[in-house]
This record gives sequence, C-alpha cells and structure tokens, in this order.
Amino acid sequence: MSETTPEAEPRKLAEEARDRVRFEEEALDLADQVYRVARRLVSTREEAEDLMQETYARAFRSWRSYQPGTNLRAWLLRILTNLNIDRGRRVQRSPDMQPLEEGDYFLYNKLEEAGDTDEERVDRRLSQDDAVAALSEVPHDFRDVIVLVDIGDFSYADAAQILDIPIGTVMSRLHRGRRILKKELAERAVGSTV
Amino acid sequence: MALDFEPDPCAKCEELLQSYLDREVSEEERAEAQRHLDACSYCRKRYRFEVELRQFVRQAVVEEMSPGLKAKLAELRTPLL
Repeated sequence: MSETTPEAEPRKLAEEARDRVRFEEEALDLADQVYRVARRLVSTREEAEDLMQETYARAFRSWRSYQPGTNLRAWLLRILTNLNIDRGRRVQRSPDMQPLEEGDYFLYNKLEEAGDTDEERVDRRLSQDDAVAALSEVPHDFRDVIVLVDIGDFSYADAAQILDIPIGTVMSRLHRGRRILKKELAERAVGSTV
Repeated sequence: MALDFEPDPCAKCEELLQSYLDREVSEEERAEAQRHLDACSYCRKRYRFEVELRQFVRQAVVEEMSPGLKAKLAELRTPLL
C-alpha cells in the first residue's frame, strides 16, 4: 500500500512551516548577540545594519541548510562574515609584515612605567572611545578573531569554522591581534609608545 | 654536577596566560597555570590586569542593536499564509 495518503502532503507542509517558524524565531532571538559582533567587524553602524539585514534575509531563505542542534549563532555569523568579504569591505593591509616587538604584558608595563601604582584600574586611564578607536586600528584579519573570541565568546574552533581558516591561524592571529590592540591602547593611555 | 636548566616558570605562565583566559588549555596546563598563579604575586598581578583589561574592552566596545533594526529583521520573516 502506498504511504501517500491524501492527508500526507498538507501534514508535511504544516511540519515544514512549523520548523521554519521555529528557525526564524530562534535566529531573531540571537540577533542582539549577532549584532554586537557585526558592529565591531565593520566601521560604521550603517554598515553593520546593512550587513545584519542581508544576513537575516539570506538565513531565512536558506534555513533548510541549517542543521538543527548545531550552533545557530555561529551559522549566522558564518553567513555574515562571508557577506562582509563578498562586499569587499575587507581590504587587507598586509598585517603580517608589520614588525611587532610588544609582548603580552606591554600595556601593563607601560602603565607601570608611567607611574600608575594602581595599574589594575584600566578604566582610569582609558575611555570607552579609546577602546573603540584602538580596536578599529587593529587590521581586519586580526580584529575579526578578537571580535569573535573576546566579544562574541566563541571558542577557537567556532571562530575557525566561521572564518573558514585553520584553528592554528585563529590562535596566531589572536595572539598577534591582542598585542596590536595593547599597543594601540597603550598609545592612548600614556601617549606615543614609539 | 648536573646543571638544572628549568624553564622560567613566569615565562611559561605568560605564554599560557591568554589561552588560559580563553579556557582553551588542557586540564594539565590549567592546573599548572593555576598552581603558579597561586604562588607567584608577579604573575598574579598581571593575570588580574589581563582579566580587567578584557572586561573593560568588552564593555567599552559593545553597542546594542537599535529597535528599528530589530523591527526590520522581524519584517524579513517569511509571511505566514
């Protein structure tokens, strides 16, 4: 006997509609978190807003390619970073060529040298604008991993998947990117460090 | 007499610190870093600084989505027939 009954097709359609609605609701619930990352991957709020709308439009169109049970936030950010690259917003400034001697404790040491006895109080020397400006000075490839790991709270493995790069590259970019960020912060906290 | 060239434990701690803060170290490394931080005030001060720095940057650079964008995203949903 055939499995196709007159009721089967509408039931299938109803199930699919229910799955789609659930997917869209879950994706929208994550929008605040996705935006926080998106905002720091690009320079302006307008760019971030455009990118979010493109991302969600694409996600809603291709929702069937999302595997339920996997990390939806990472899936959305994968779409978003791909769109960002496709739109040519990322112009690499040969970041690997920059000499970099500053170590992990560079900012700490600079604050200590500047005579700040309470060097644990970072916010006494740096404003919110300083942090935003310093982060925006970090070249894109390095900034992407910092934003995903430090702001998005993604694991190295998730960041590697989102950016489609090996996990070792995530680690090396993070390592170098954080040092560049500290150098930028140090310049704002104690003046030129050169 | 055998010379003991033990690696500098503070240098090792510095090397591990970022991954330790990212919770991306093995259990063995985590325990090793924790033991060293408990015993070494030089590294502990720097560790606390790194924790505070990350929190500061994280809070400083966060910008929330506007209600207008949220509404636009909701409008992109597939209409229910």
